[in-house]
Amino acid sequence: MWGRQSCLQPPSGGSLCMLEIRDLNVRYDKRNHVLKGVSLTVGQSERVAILGSSGAGKTTLFHAINGFAKADSGSIQVNGVEVTQLAGRALRRVRSHIGVVSQRHDLVDSLAVYQNVMAGALGRWSAWRALRFLFWPAKEEMEEAAAALRRVGLEHKLRARTSGISGGEHQRVAIARALVQQPVLLLADEPVASLDPKLSEQILALLCGLAAESRVTLLCSLHQPHLAERYFDRIVELQDGRIAGGAVSTFLQQGI
Amino acid sequence: METLLRIFHLIALFFPPYWSLHYFNALLVPIGQTIEMAAGGIFVALIVGMLTGIWVGAGLPGGRWIYRLLSAFRSIPDLTLAIFCVVVVGIGPAAGMLALAIFYSAAIGKIFADLFLSADRNPVDALRATGATRLSVALFGLLPLRMQDILSYGFYEFESAVRASVIVGAVGGGGIGTELVGTINALDYRRTSTLILVLILVIALIDKLSHILKNKPIAIGILLPLGLAAFWANRPAMLAIPHALTTFGKMLPPQLPADAIRALPGLFGETFEIAVGGTFFAMLAALPLGLLASRNLSPAFVSIPVRRFLEALRAIPEIVWGLILVSAIGIGPRAGVMALAFHATGALGRLYAESFENIPTAPVRAIAATGAPRLAVAGFAFVPLALAPVAVHTLFRLEWNVRAATIVGVIGAGGIGQALFNAQQLFFYRQMMAYVVLTWLIVVAVDQASALLRGKLNLMEAKA
Repeated sequence: MWGRQSCLQPPSGGSLCMLEIRDLNVRYDKRNHVLKGVSLTVGQSERVAILGSSGAGKTTLFHAINGFAKADSGSIQVNGVEVTQLAGRALRRVRSHIGVVSQRHDLVDSLAVYQNVMAGALGRWSAWRALRFLFWPAKEEMEEAAAALRRVGLEHKLRARTSGISGGEHQRVAIARALVQQPVLLLADEPVASLDPKLSEQILALLCGLAAESRVTLLCSLHQPHLAERYFDRIVELQDGRIAGGAVSTFLQQGI
Repeated sequence: METLLRIFHLIALFFPPYWSLHYFNALLVPIGQTIEMAAGGIFVALIVGMLTGIWVGAGLPGGRWIYRLLSAFRSIPDLTLAIFCVVVVGIGPAAGMLALAIFYSAAIGKIFADLFLSADRNPVDALRATGATRLSVALFGLLPLRMQDILSYGFYEFESAVRASVIVGAVGGGGIGTELVGTINALDYRRTSTLILVLILVIALIDKLSHILKNKPIAIGILLPLGLAAFWANRPAMLAIPHALTTFGKMLPPQLPADAIRALPGLFGETFEIAVGGTFFAMLAALPLGLLASRNLSPAFVSIPVRRFLEALRAIPEIVWGLILVSAIGIGPRAGVMALAFHATGALGRLYAESFENIPTAPVRAIAATGAPRLAVAGFAFVPLALAPVAVHTLFRLEWNVRAATIVGVIGAGGIGQALFNAQQLFFYRQMMAYVVLTWLIVVAVDQASALLRGKLNLMEAKA
């Protein structure tokens, strides 16, 4: 199921779904339900924007998809694999196929840029290889990092200190890290929230372009409706933990 | 009054310090031993502490239990550990090194674990989201995120290990501490004062060194060859493990005879008397001294000499104060109370002064602006603002002094420490082990009570 090549092909079952969420409930304590009966289907290579105000549950939804938030009930299937019951190694294996780009500053500042980029490969590396890479990176590993950085237009920052790069460059490095992961699903949690309008457009165009190029399914939460309309196949609105309006993929209905 | 006269008489015996080139040459060996113990102990502690810290911080299985074990071990005072180690591996630097290695492994392990656990969650979560193993997350996230802190804590701990290695020497761990006790026992006070000066000098040098190296924490690397050499030099004693285990076996199970059990409430009482008395007198002395030492309240010609005086008081460890005072006013809790009071005055005086300096100026000015007299300004603004930090510092010092009270007992100041030391000297190993366990229980209980009390105080502040 998780073979590098096959996961981009439609599974043999005939389903075109990359992500299928059914009646998902997540709560932080007895009273506070964050997600209330969320159902959402996202097709392969589809780019879906999730709009919603702060506190609507967007981040929690993403956390539930890669297992950081536990689901109380309902199901989440990523490429046909049920993830809500996974733990330990099985969960790590699923996570290694899901790229994440977030609004938060989540690079390790004291590492070099190429080290942060190659952190995307940690899911398929042993701890020994990770240790060896930190002190003695192999030539092909450096080439892989350079290639990923080239795709986001930052090849010249390969050996730079991460603490010295700007906010926009930071997001590009985070995207490069996600690319190294070779994900089947890319989760972008308000990737442009802390950027100015011009940079926001640039980063979104890059993200969506790369997703289309690699035929990766993209789920991206946003605040700005106009950006969502411009760059995404479909918009889903999340309000107070519920999906507003229809959640069925028009993309799938059209049979594309 | 008589006591004071006796102290003055004794102080006179310490002057002038003994001075000869031959003696200084001879002193190089114990000085070297003291640094050797500290370096060897810290070397082991850094390795063990780093591994356990990563283990706990990365959330590997059993981490919570290891964390609890580290916290528990840290509550055994270093001197208590040293007495234990002297029994197990014999008198000499190896015992001191082993004691320091155990004590600082626990301390460093817990600090590193705390550092890793409190690392910035965002990068760590981003790494976890890639499906990386916990060890890889530690390598790519926790370590680089915390490297700077790890290096500076490492050096700080080396500094405090040098101080501690003087203390463990006092019970037969070798180095300056052993020399110091030797001169006091031989009533050779002029050599004692030379040694105290040497001790102050060594600590000041390390202080200075760490100050210079603060911006170059990587310099901690010098500890590696130093520590390895120290460890290698003491390996024969470390290798005598079968003998050590047999001796350890003799300590189990811990046991107290009936008369010792009857004496326990008295011992506990004495230990607390020393701790509370020492803290109380230190507080009385430190309040005016702290006012005089604070740069915003006193002119420089007052604050600077007072600061130096406070530094000198706290440069001499409690145990050394204890040794001097026991020979001045005889054995008993009174010497212990005064020993703790002298050292704690130095520590509290400086902390109080810092608290006074950090008082926000705006509320004080606002009261002064009403035209209130100085005393009213003090009563309505200064004192209420200073009260909370002073209370917190005093409470912390009381906690520390309970630990110290179990230690000064060793040199005849009474309490549980004295009972522990007597049991060791008489080879009553099971009894000794029982006192080690009891000391540990006292320290853990007081730590918990103090944490609870601080929590309550915070709660009150939050409500107000």
